[in-house]
Amino acid sequence: MKRVRNQRLLSVILCVAGIILLASEAPCISKAFDEKIFDAGDLKPIDSTLKVKVGDPVPDFTLRAVSGGTVTLSEYRGTKNVVISFVPAAWTPVCSDQWPGYNIVQDLFDAYSAVLIGISVDNIPTLFAWTQAMGDLWFPVLSDFWPHGKVAQTLGVLRSDGTSERAIFIVDKQGIIRYIDVHDINKRPPLEGIIEALEKVQD
Amino acid sequence: MGKRSLVLFFAALSSVLLATSAVQAQENAPDYAQALEKLRLYSPEDPSARKYLGLKDKDAQFFINQIDAELLLIEIFSMYCPHCQKHAPEANRLFEIITGRKDLKDRLKLIGIGVGNSPFEVKIFREKYSVAFPLLDDRDSAATNALSGVLTPHYVVLRLHKGGKIDVLYSDAGGFDDAEEFLKMVLSL
Repeated sequence: MKRVRNQRLLSVILCVAGIILLASEAPCISKAFDEKIFDAGDLKPIDSTLKVKVGDPVPDFTLRAVSGGTVTLSEYRGTKNVVISFVPAAWTPVCSDQWPGYNIVQDLFDAYSAVLIGISVDNIPTLFAWTQAMGDLWFPVLSDFWPHGKVAQTLGVLRSDGTSERAIFIVDKQGIIRYIDVHDINKRPPLEGIIEALEKVQD
Repeated sequence: MGKRSLVLFFAALSSVLLATSAVQAQENAPDYAQALEKLRLYSPEDPSARKYLGLKDKDAQFFINQIDAELLLIEIFSMYCPHCQKHAPEANRLFEIITGRKDLKDRLKLIGIGVGNSPFEVKIFREKYSVAFPLLDDRDSAATNALSGVLTPHYVVLRLHKGGKIDVLYSDAGGFDDAEEFLKMVLSL
């Protein structure tokens, strides 16, 4: 009798536990950026004037990396082509959906002897939190926060509100700018644009 | 309570809760019914993918209700979405389970729509994650415009009627942890 009562008690406990477990099992929602994204709305597509052009030697710069230390562009001189990806701001819709795509194609960059550098004008702590949500990135993410947007300003991609353009620069091993795409800030540049440009640099 | 009745009780409870969570999903997320009915996609380049979907010409535009299936599962994904990347193996497992079941393989089909993705970007995703089910691109941003604000991955389950009507049985953001359990939920709709 006691055993039956114990079984009944156990089944009630299991039942309640089951209800709690299953009821709290909300549908899986993408947690990477869900509900953390600030929608800035539709912005002026381009809000700056380039200060460099294809064929120019790239101005050198040193910026702090989210992973620690600094990265100097000229460190890659003679060894790697460099793809520089400026994104306007952390925690915004299009930007959050850009670098994670580059993160799965390291082999494509390697094939063209290229490295990728991500730059934003956000500060290091903000970039740290944001890039953590993207997973482990294989490329350095640099902060152009202070002096605010100095590198973006030098290249001519600092917008009037202090963010940068969504821009891609490709610099060859000799330090010459070979490709510039100052993209509509509201849209993501297609990956093939970068890969096709790298093919030409390789030639 | 006997062992058998306990098992039956929990089986019934699970079914009720699974069905309830599906209804909740529908209530909490946009169902995209009208958007999906009007959406025109481009048929895949791969002939076996076209055969699976019952489509003839490659790169020809088609409506979702032209797909040869009674039930259609759609994963709205993006090559750029980290959660879609992590979720890819489980989505592949779901496809393996469906195609491995004789009672389902012609009745329930699975596709992916790479929202905002070019054919090149979809190809990258397919190759990186060895995706065997058809992944369709969004070369003209039709899906981006139709599914504005969608959180990826987002799953939709549709019932396709012969006259062209579509019923949305399930629509919710997020992937799933267990393909078997997800399929059970889909079949309980």
